Amino acid sequence: MSDAAAIARYDDFLPRNSHGRRYARIVSDYSERDQIARAAAGDRLAQSALVNRHMPVVWRVAFRMLRDRQEAEDVTQETFLRAWKMLPDWEGRSKFSTWACTVAINLCRDRMKKKAPVLMETLPEREAGDLPPEQALHQKQAGARISALIDALPERQKEALTLSALEGMGNKDAAAAMQVSVEALESLLSRARRTLRQALAEGQEE
Amino acid sequence: MTKTGMTDARVLQLLETYGAWPMAWPEEEREAAEAHLAAHPERFADVLAEARLLDAAFEAEPMAEPDPSLAARILADAPQSRAAREGLGVRLSRLLMPNGRRWPAGAALASLGMGLFAGYTASASSVAAPGFETEAEAVVYAALGYDQYETYLEEAPLDE
Repeated sequence: MSDAAAIARYDDFLPRNSHGRRYARIVSDYSERDQIARAAAGDRLAQSALVNRHMPVVWRVAFRMLRDRQEAEDVTQETFLRAWKMLPDWEGRSKFSTWACTVAINLCRDRMKKKAPVLMETLPEREAGDLPPEQALHQKQAGARISALIDALPERQKEALTLSALEGMGNKDAAAAMQVSVEALESLLSRARRTLRQALAEGQEE
Repeated sequence: MTKTGMTDARVLQLLETYGAWPMAWPEEEREAAEAHLAAHPERFADVLAEARLLDAAFEAEPMAEPDPSLAARILADAPQSRAAREGLGVRLSRLLMPNGRRWPAGAALASLGMGLFAGYTASASSVAAPGFETEAEAVVYAALGYDQYETYLEEAPLDE
């Protein structure tokens, strides 16, 4: 079995939560460098693999920060446009996911600086799956509530939580993507979680 | 502190920072923290329950997905391979002229030179003094079965 196939198989067995989020992602540096080199040379399969693997995460990070699907798409496209230009000179100093999230976060920050604060837009609908109606409604309400609470967090805490808790990025990669130390990331995460815990507890008391 | 260097304070910090799911904890501390937690579950029960509650809330958070056409739009901007950039014509010419276009141009130039040289030498040898056959004419008469021009004049059938 090739390295790539072995990694793909290993990746499939990594633990996930109910949304399919991976709590840990181990990617061979060699395989990513190889994939990037092939993508830079115009290999469509390698480019597709890179996009399929990283684009949804980049888009979700942008969407959570901007709360606008179209703007999140624009940021994602711009991120990959920069990636295509940069790939021939890729030196593998960081993981592609870390680099892409850094670019996306910076693009989002620029956009947020330019526009005035806006009210949160309608949350995207989520399929309730095969849950009974009452349970589906309860889950939908719970999902909408936690989304609203996350959105209300300070920007940096929201970024940290999105990368670490929601996208399953490792602490070092998340810190690198946010261009902060691991200690700073942990501080942002613990403050975010404390705020959310308190808000959820208050919600239960009401 | 255990022999692994893990402390109660750090386990509490991990639970409050990364949640209850060990896979979310830093890889280098995971094993020691799990062992410490398993050795003293009563010390962390409340914090662990709170962390689990928040993790469950995250599970319920709707995970938005990008538009399915976004991947195609991104790939449309991706760099193309050399073959795709050059198109069929260039690839075909490379197949027919593997050494590039200089090769047929050089061959054509050489053919032209050889033609000019052959033409010049042939015309030079066919110039003869008046009354004498040129070598070329002798070849023609011999091919017709005559010894020379005079024999041809004597024996060749006339139209009239």
